[in-house]
Amino acid sequence: MFLPIWKKLKYMLLILVLSKEASVLKAAQISSESDKDWINQAIRFWTFTDPSIQIIALGAILIGINCGLMGGYVVSRRLSMFGDTLSHAVLPGIAVGFMFSQSKNEAVLMIGATLSGFLGVGIISLLKRHTKMKEDSAMGLVLSGFYALGICLITYLQQSPNGGTSGLESYLFGSLVGLSDRDLVPLCFCLSLIIICFILLNKELLLSGFDPSFARSVGLPVDILQFCIWILMAFCIVSSLQVIGVVLVSALLIIPASTAGLLTYRMSQILVYSGILGALSGIVGCFLSFMGERLPAGPVIVLCSTLLFLAVLFFSPARGILPSWFRTRRRGQRIRFENTLKACYQVLESRSFSSQSFPQTALAQRRGKSDAEIEKEIGVLIREGYATRQEFPTEQKSELPSETMVSLTPSGWEIASRMIRNHRLWELYLTKEASYAPDHVHDDAEKIEHVIGEKTVRQIERILDNPQRDPHGKPIPSQDDIDRGWLSPPLVADK
Amino acid sequence: MRVALPKPLEIHDLTVAYQQKPVLYGIDLEVEPGSLVGIIGPNGAGKSTLIKAIMGIMKSVDGYVKVFGDSSRKALTRVGYVPQRESVDWDFPVTAMDVVLMGRFGHIGWFKRISKRDRSFASECLEQMNMLPYANRQIGNLSGGQQQRVFLARALAQQSDLYLMDEPFEGVDAITEKAIVDLLKNLRNQGKTLMVVHHDLSTAKDYFDHLALLNLRLVAYGKTEDVFTHDLLQKTYGGKLTVLSEVGSRKLNEKQPTPEAL
Amino acid sequence: MLDFAEALLDPWSTREQVIWNLQIVFMGMMVSLSCGLVGCFVVVRRMALLGDAVSHGILPGIVTAYLITDSLSIGPVWIGACLAGLGCGASIEWLRTKTPLREDAAMGLTFTSFFALGIVLLSLEAGATHLDPACFLYGEIGLTPLSPKLELWGLPSGNQALWNMGVVCLTTMISVIVFYRFLLVTSFDCSLARSLGMPVIWIQYGLMLLLALVVVASFESVGVILVLAMMILPPVSSAFLFHRLPSILMCCLPLSIFYSVAGLQLAYSMNFPISASMALAGIVIFLPCCLLGPNGGVLTNSKKLKTRKSSRDLSAN
Repeated sequence: MFLPIWKKLKYMLLILVLSKEASVLKAAQISSESDKDWINQAIRFWTFTDPSIQIIALGAILIGINCGLMGGYVVSRRLSMFGDTLSHAVLPGIAVGFMFSQSKNEAVLMIGATLSGFLGVGIISLLKRHTKMKEDSAMGLVLSGFYALGICLITYLQQSPNGGTSGLESYLFGSLVGLSDRDLVPLCFCLSLIIICFILLNKELLLSGFDPSFARSVGLPVDILQFCIWILMAFCIVSSLQVIGVVLVSALLIIPASTAGLLTYRMSQILVYSGILGALSGIVGCFLSFMGERLPAGPVIVLCSTLLFLAVLFFSPARGILPSWFRTRRRGQRIRFENTLKACYQVLESRSFSSQSFPQTALAQRRGKSDAEIEKEIGVLIREGYATRQEFPTEQKSELPSETMVSLTPSGWEIASRMIRNHRLWELYLTKEASYAPDHVHDDAEKIEHVIGEKTVRQIERILDNPQRDPHGKPIPSQDDIDRGWLSPPLVADK
Repeated sequence: MRVALPKPLEIHDLTVAYQQKPVLYGIDLEVEPGSLVGIIGPNGAGKSTLIKAIMGIMKSVDGYVKVFGDSSRKALTRVGYVPQRESVDWDFPVTAMDVVLMGRFGHIGWFKRISKRDRSFASECLEQMNMLPYANRQIGNLSGGQQQRVFLARALAQQSDLYLMDEPFEGVDAITEKAIVDLLKNLRNQGKTLMVVHHDLSTAKDYFDHLALLNLRLVAYGKTEDVFTHDLLQKTYGGKLTVLSEVGSRKLNEKQPTPEAL
Repeated sequence: MLDFAEALLDPWSTREQVIWNLQIVFMGMMVSLSCGLVGCFVVVRRMALLGDAVSHGILPGIVTAYLITDSLSIGPVWIGACLAGLGCGASIEWLRTKTPLREDAAMGLTFTSFFALGIVLLSLEAGATHLDPACFLYGEIGLTPLSPKLELWGLPSGNQALWNMGVVCLTTMISVIVFYRFLLVTSFDCSLARSLGMPVIWIQYGLMLLLALVVVASFESVGVILVLAMMILPPVSSAFLFHRLPSILMCCLPLSIFYSVAGLQLAYSMNFPISASMALAGIVIFLPCCLLGPNGGVLTNSKKLKTRKSSRDLSAN
């Protein structure tokens, strides 16, 4: 009695193994054992002379483009997890479609899958509307429930006498090996459908996704458009399931589009970029899987797109992490010497601009720093060409060493007075327009002076009607003062 | 020499940003004990944000908040917070009584059982808000006013010294509104400090004895009769300062080393 | 009718069968109980999909732990899985806050990448060794009775797998009871938790750790995706029956017994996989709860609305 049950269980387990996502592991290994020379292999792949390679590469590219394009909408409408749910919810449909057609008939399976996907989506929205369940638990429920149902049905089918199941498995969990030119047809169909929809309905989709209530108010059929997105998404998922598998389809929907989202803000560009990125990861993943001994294609394609994502995240010139880290560092340096220059101005101002140079010790006093630190700061200024330094022997013969005098170059003078101008204008703006107390504005102006930018400064100047003095009564250098350069008459006259 | 008691609330140069846009800019505020403060300002002026920043729910970009002279998180144990109605998950499986008992958790001590005294105290708080008959209702099955009263009962049960309330008058019936106002004045008379976000200008004058006029920055803070003037209200409600918010967002985007004092 | 009774009794006809199947039922019960208890908090915090993400994301950790220790012993595998799960969670959090990605995209991106990495690692290495991806990836609840027998002080003391799951189940129950108040307040109202001085972030991490533990322990039995069903089904079904969290938590026990028994019966009569049938049994019990549940069921909803209105009238007085 013990043995039969054990056998039965083993059999069931075997089916379980075959029927679940594990098949990805075994299914999609394209490389042939005979040809070990991988340079030859690479040449064989990239010349595309072999018709089977042509089909595989074309399939991978098509899927990449499809999912990338669709993903643009999925991600921008925050439907990422919805894509995942939908890809699991199509499972029972495939099984039922197989039951009806009794064969691996693409059309019937696709219809079944689409219907079942829609049923899942419908159940989610019903649960959300009519019960107190939240979206996430509704989605989790549908995802796992439909998946369980699908597993049960497929197991059942595989046990039935006329279950020619090998085809069904490859349909379910995908492989690049089994890809035939017939399988390319739904992919092409899906791609053309997506492109036509996106071109015809570009602005409608954009509007209804961005602001549904406004779209409704201008008479757009928002629900129908939403429905269109569902259909396209279901087609896209179902046609790619055949090649990639349940979990990984949603990855291809999300990752290329997220990568594109890091590169640009504009919807049309996001679509183009994510299509390209999807195709790129498709073909590269396909190639790696072709080269590797046991590399399954689906996960490799996904990992390729993840690597692309990481590359963009770290290195993209505009918003990449490394470039912006360097920018922050450079900005930190700039702010440091801007502060030094500003202090130079203040030293000069405290001496009523009586001479062009000032002793380095006065700067040290002003900044409250040691001579060595100031020495270093002035060194930086000199290297950058903002200041010059001369040694003067002190007038009285004493034990003191010779006095070091510093004077600003014209460019150094310009930056210094610009910083002072920004600082004082901003203080004035905060006190006059935003009703801050005059003793509270200094700290803020300390930060703002470095970032405010010439345009805003002019704007503030206009708002304040070309002010002369800041809230503490100190003169604000005007643009003219800066243009005229060192010791312009009005500024000196002002003293 | 008299030692000055720490102020219930001290805010210095507080700047808070949400999605790269400043919502509050350089707020300075000190509240005396025993004041009933109304925070008013137009929509999107950062009223709720101010409360959330005090509670530490939203991180500040700049500046600090001190509660009873203490800026650490421990000070928050003396604060009772009544959240905005929308921010509560009303489908959460708890009853009115459970919610009020949550307010007692700080007094019970962690892993100890809820004593009879705590239960009866919670009932008293519910009774004070006229909500005892609904003690065993799930909170989603109460009307808007009743829900608000449950949360006020919880605040009572917390026995805090500083209360922060986010739009307690939002969507409640007239009777609840009256009950809330009575409660606020009652607490104020007990020496508690209350900060209440409010958006109805017509009642603000009667409900509060201090007002904070807020619009991105603190326009004015003081006794109601000093602050509730046409001029200041005009300033508060008269449009946004575009330069301020633009420059503020630039400041956020360009993270920089700490500035040096000159 | 007789056929039905026969089908019901089929798995219980001999002594060996009873012992064999009881072990499976017991395993299934513990799996769905611990999943359900954690799931209650996961669902009220609206993190159900995070549970899904974590259950996929721990795969590379398991594979790496296997590759390093070259054994399937449960300890290293747990540690690896928890590390991978934490890495997954940290990556989601980092992407969400530090990049323009939204939460859902961050989640989808992370867990699919982790899962793909796990599969690639597995297929790179496992071909040479005897690690059967199936027994780790996809549920072996039917094989529970075959796990090695444990001996304590020289006495045969039952099944290793059952003991492992039992420890996890007990840990879950104790943590939920001990930290109930923390979990309740942080789930319901984060700001109150702060003003009560609770370490909100640490409680969140603790819950995630518990989630990872439960997922690791149970996906050996029910597989990556069905672990989600075991987490979500009990709380959402019982939320239609009760309106207080303690009752909902208690309700997990009868539900989990039902899931495992009904799942086993269904699996026997239809030749389904046991884990999937357990999820189906869960769906079967969810439907009447959702439709007829006294607390917000679809068909009782209209009545509820009326009472809500009448209570509103009451309050006006």
